[in-house]
Amino acid sequence: MNTFSVLAKKELSQTIREFKIIWLPLVFMLIGATQPIMMYYLPSILKMLGGLDGITIDPSMTQVSGAEVMASTIDAQFNQLGTIILVVALMGVIQSEKANGMLSFILTRPVSTLSFVWSKVVSQFVFLALCLSVGFLTSYGYAALLFSTVPWGELLLSMLSYFVWLLFVVSFVVMVSTIFNGQGIIALIGIAFLFFCTVTAGLHPILAMFSPAGMSLQSVYLLSTGTFDPKIGWNLLVSVLWIGVTIGVTYFWIAKKKFQK
Amino acid sequence: MQLHYGWDDFNDIDWMTIIPILLPFVLIAGLLILFALIDLYRNRHRRENVLMWTLIIIFINTIGPILYFILGRKDRRRT
Repeated sequence: MNTFSVLAKKELSQTIREFKIIWLPLVFMLIGATQPIMMYYLPSILKMLGGLDGITIDPSMTQVSGAEVMASTIDAQFNQLGTIILVVALMGVIQSEKANGMLSFILTRPVSTLSFVWSKVVSQFVFLALCLSVGFLTSYGYAALLFSTVPWGELLLSMLSYFVWLLFVVSFVVMVSTIFNGQGIIALIGIAFLFFCTVTAGLHPILAMFSPAGMSLQSVYLLSTGTFDPKIGWNLLVSVLWIGVTIGVTYFWIAKKKFQK
Repeated sequence: MQLHYGWDDFNDIDWMTIIPILLPFVLIAGLLILFALIDLYRNRHRRENVLMWTLIIIFINTIGPILYFILGRKDRRRT
């Protein structure tokens, strides 16, 4: 058995022990279900809250399609509450190992730093990608039930391009978790920077080209228009570069600090 | 805006259209609360502020159980 599978197995047993394997999929199911239900009942909600002035809902308004509902699920739920939950769930990933001495213990074994970092990032990414898929599928089911069905191809492609952004989120939080020691500051920096990325990417197409959030924007774009933005290749390249830089910083930080005594 | 409702309004709601949509949502949220409460109950002797966490889990919607799972699962320092 090679070191990678041993370390990945250790990560899995940790997610089971912390009950993450139960509550994270449930939370993402809730997040995925919120937006379609809210959009379905929006006319009634507006009617209730409209006050005495009243609001006229244009009856000739085009019916929202299921794909647009899913796009707004990504935009309004996964990119906001979802990001906060991801960061908070990930913040202890290396910090807790530093705190209880596990990191220096593992590095006294014949384990290369690179395989340690890589196993962390990959196992967390696979687990969170599964949780997010559950959320996407819930949203898909509700969109199909209440609005119109989304083509499978669009769903899969938008999930794939969102997962590139997810990989960046994981590697970034792992990097911050390696550098800082307090859980609060890790969560703060993670959430602030990731929100900064999504907001600036949404402001202007040129900013979106250099932001790692470009790929999450692409998945929204795909769902709302039906095709990718032509700059997809550039976005993918920039995202991969960002991921490489964050993993590289994590690697050098652990290698240089010599956690093994 | 109508603020006061009587018992008759309760029957006016078209339950059959609402239940299939909202039932899964309520079930998932309930399951999350249930898991958090079971975990809290099994470790009630080792945790701090058990009563506070119980109230948070039950009354703060969806965020409460998440907060408990992330922050609340710390054991009291052994004396």
